[in-house]
Amino acid sequence: MSTKPDVIRKCLWPACLVGLLITGILSLDCNLLHFHLRKVTWQNLRLLSSTSSSFPAECLSETKAFELPQEILSHTQPVKRYIKEAFYEMSIQAFNIFSQYTLKSTWESDYLKQIQIGLDQQLQYLEQCLEEEEQEKEDWKEMTEDGMNWSGALVPQLSSLELRRYFNRIDNFLKEKRYSHCAWEIIRAEIRRCFYYFQKFAARLRKK
Amino acid sequence: MLALLSATTLVLVAGVPWMLPAAAGGTNLKSPQNVEVYIIDDTFILRWNRSNPSVRNVTFSADYQILENGAWLQLPGCQSVASTECNFSSVKLNVYEEIKLRIRAEEGNNTSPWRYVDSFTLFEKAQIGPPKVHLEAEDKAIIVNISPPGTKDGGMWASDSSGFIYSLDIWKNSSSGERKTKTVYSRDKIYELSPETTYCLKVRARLLPRKTGAYSPVYCIKTAVENKLPPPENIQVEAKNQTYILKWDYAQENVTFYAQWLHAYLKKIPGDNSGKWKQIPNCKNVRTTQCVFPKNTFHKGIYLIRVRASDGNTTSVWSHEEKFDTQLQITLFPPVITMKPTNNASLRVYISAPGESENKPVNHLYPLIYEIVFWENTSNAERKILEKRTDFTFPQLKPLTVYCVKARALIQDERWNKSSVFSDIVCEKTKPGNTSKTWLIAGVCAALFSIPVVIYVMKLLFRCISYVFFPSSKPPSTIDEYFSEQPLRNLLLFTSEELTERCFIIENTNTITAVEETNQTDGEHKKYSSQTSQDSGNYSNEDESTGSKFSEEFLHQETE
Repeated sequence: MSTKPDVIRKCLWPACLVGLLITGILSLDCNLLHFHLRKVTWQNLRLLSSTSSSFPAECLSETKAFELPQEILSHTQPVKRYIKEAFYEMSIQAFNIFSQYTLKSTWESDYLKQIQIGLDQQLQYLEQCLEEEEQEKEDWKEMTEDGMNWSGALVPQLSSLELRRYFNRIDNFLKEKRYSHCAWEIIRAEIRRCFYYFQKFAARLRKK
Repeated sequence: MLALLSATTLVLVAGVPWMLPAAAGGTNLKSPQNVEVYIIDDTFILRWNRSNPSVRNVTFSADYQILENGAWLQLPGCQSVASTECNFSSVKLNVYEEIKLRIRAEEGNNTSPWRYVDSFTLFEKAQIGPPKVHLEAEDKAIIVNISPPGTKDGGMWASDSSGFIYSLDIWKNSSSGERKTKTVYSRDKIYELSPETTYCLKVRARLLPRKTGAYSPVYCIKTAVENKLPPPENIQVEAKNQTYILKWDYAQENVTFYAQWLHAYLKKIPGDNSGKWKQIPNCKNVRTTQCVFPKNTFHKGIYLIRVRASDGNTTSVWSHEEKFDTQLQITLFPPVITMKPTNNASLRVYISAPGESENKPVNHLYPLIYEIVFWENTSNAERKILEKRTDFTFPQLKPLTVYCVKARALIQDERWNKSSVFSDIVCEKTKPGNTSKTWLIAGVCAALFSIPVVIYVMKLLFRCISYVFFPSSKPPSTIDEYFSEQPLRNLLLFTSEELTERCFIIENTNTITAVEETNQTDGEHKKYSSQTSQDSGNYSNEDESTGSKFSEEFLHQETE
């Protein structure tokens, strides 16, 4: 039994890496919103990693493998919109977790509020961008007479499903553990690790 | 022959009882066709078509399999059903799990082969059902209260409680009925409607990125009488130094205003938020249509602001909830311009943010473009250009002229309409045009080079003219090579110039000897010519021709 929760490393991987991809790729679309989106996502990540208390030793035995969906990460040339959608999916799921269990959370309410505010900002920007693109696509569809090839639509749906399954596992984990302090700490440690990867990846992306 | 006949009859007889049961549908039931899964919210329905229409008493049973397990379990609600559809909503499954279904027809003990359905997850096939809508009329607006589709706490949309986006179509019940579509929160208000008019609307829920739900039924409601006090309009927030200024428009006077704020994220969470609005400091009972409050009231995030008016007795309804994002409050500072005149009568312009040197790159927090106004100091004609680069040149200006430049920063997106004030004016004089110098030097060089060329050409021309109009009497120099002897040369050279005496050829057997003789005689002629110059005048013409003839003949002989 590994003491280091490397199983947790896999947890929220899609959150991290998809977010990473966003920071680099979103900068090409949606006019000005991407600037703010980048800033906001960065702030959120820093916020989530700002907790100073260390991981309690007694919770190590309760760790679980959440199994990141590897398929999302294996795409070598992700389409921008697909990335945005996956990122939106991740954000809304994370927001859901944080908002559903505010009463059952052992974190300070202020901290939780900050996270929710930050995620909401992210979501609003993404929503606007995706709506705009949807509108453009609709207009373009009207212009082009022939039927669109929707095979590309299957790919994002798959990743959206994977993300949902993944967050479903986190959700079930919290429920199983009855929102115990340990369960929240495990989630918190996971998120902190997420930030670490996020930073590294984002740095690499910006070089491009 | 007979044996053959009997054999075939035997086969036929044997075959018939074997075939008849099949026609009757005994052991060869066909499996159902066109099997489809149809899911709306938490209702799961399986549909199919019969493939044995003639057979009665056919029932159908379905099983399901969770892909990871491998065991086929009975699908609840779909065991021995007589119709062509069944509802299996009671199955206890995770909506994100991949499952596979199979169905077959049964009649007594006979069963058809299984018809399989490709693996799927309940979530991907699920469609969003209509949301529940509750309406309330207030003043000129309609308050909508939308409940998300599906069951509360669990079910298909358990993890989407905050994720639904609602699209609302509204139109006037009467006449034209022009439809407007809006995106609304689950608890929202529709403004800008006419009082005492019946409006009809329908709502549908959406899940980004791709799921769009069914419309709710159409609901109609009549708006109320207009309140004496209308709500304030056109709420705006401006940033200034360390404060925010909240402004709004209001037609009437002698009213006080009250402004409130709310975290925007609370709108996403289902539930009643009416108790969560908080007062904006310095914005209670203000008499002006604006109030100033410190910047640190709002930390980073998106907020909603609403204002209402009150005249002591009555209060207006709340205004439209204006979204305010602290991070989108940008203060643009005017850029700093430095100009340098370069060669070729051009000016190189460097734009930098205040506080930075011209060599450092501008730190872009936002994508800025610069509007540059450019004019000659003496004239008023201004040229405006939009430039994205921070280091560029104005080329080909007038030399030794003073030009002035001022610039301001703009956000690249026109929607934002934000700009800084203009920077200070910077003027510079251009250098003398290097071009004129260059041309001068080039011209001089060209002239210098052209002189000998011209001379040479003139010379050639002159030679040509003199050759044509003033031919030279000199024979070509090649003749000199062959005639080094003086007398012969004299003969040849002087044939056209000197008048020669006529000679009578006595014997003309050999042309050479004749020529030699004539040569000699010519020599003597010379002696005589000086003495008998008078006579020679008569014969000069002929001699000329014969003389020339001789030279020609001689030349021809030489050349042979």
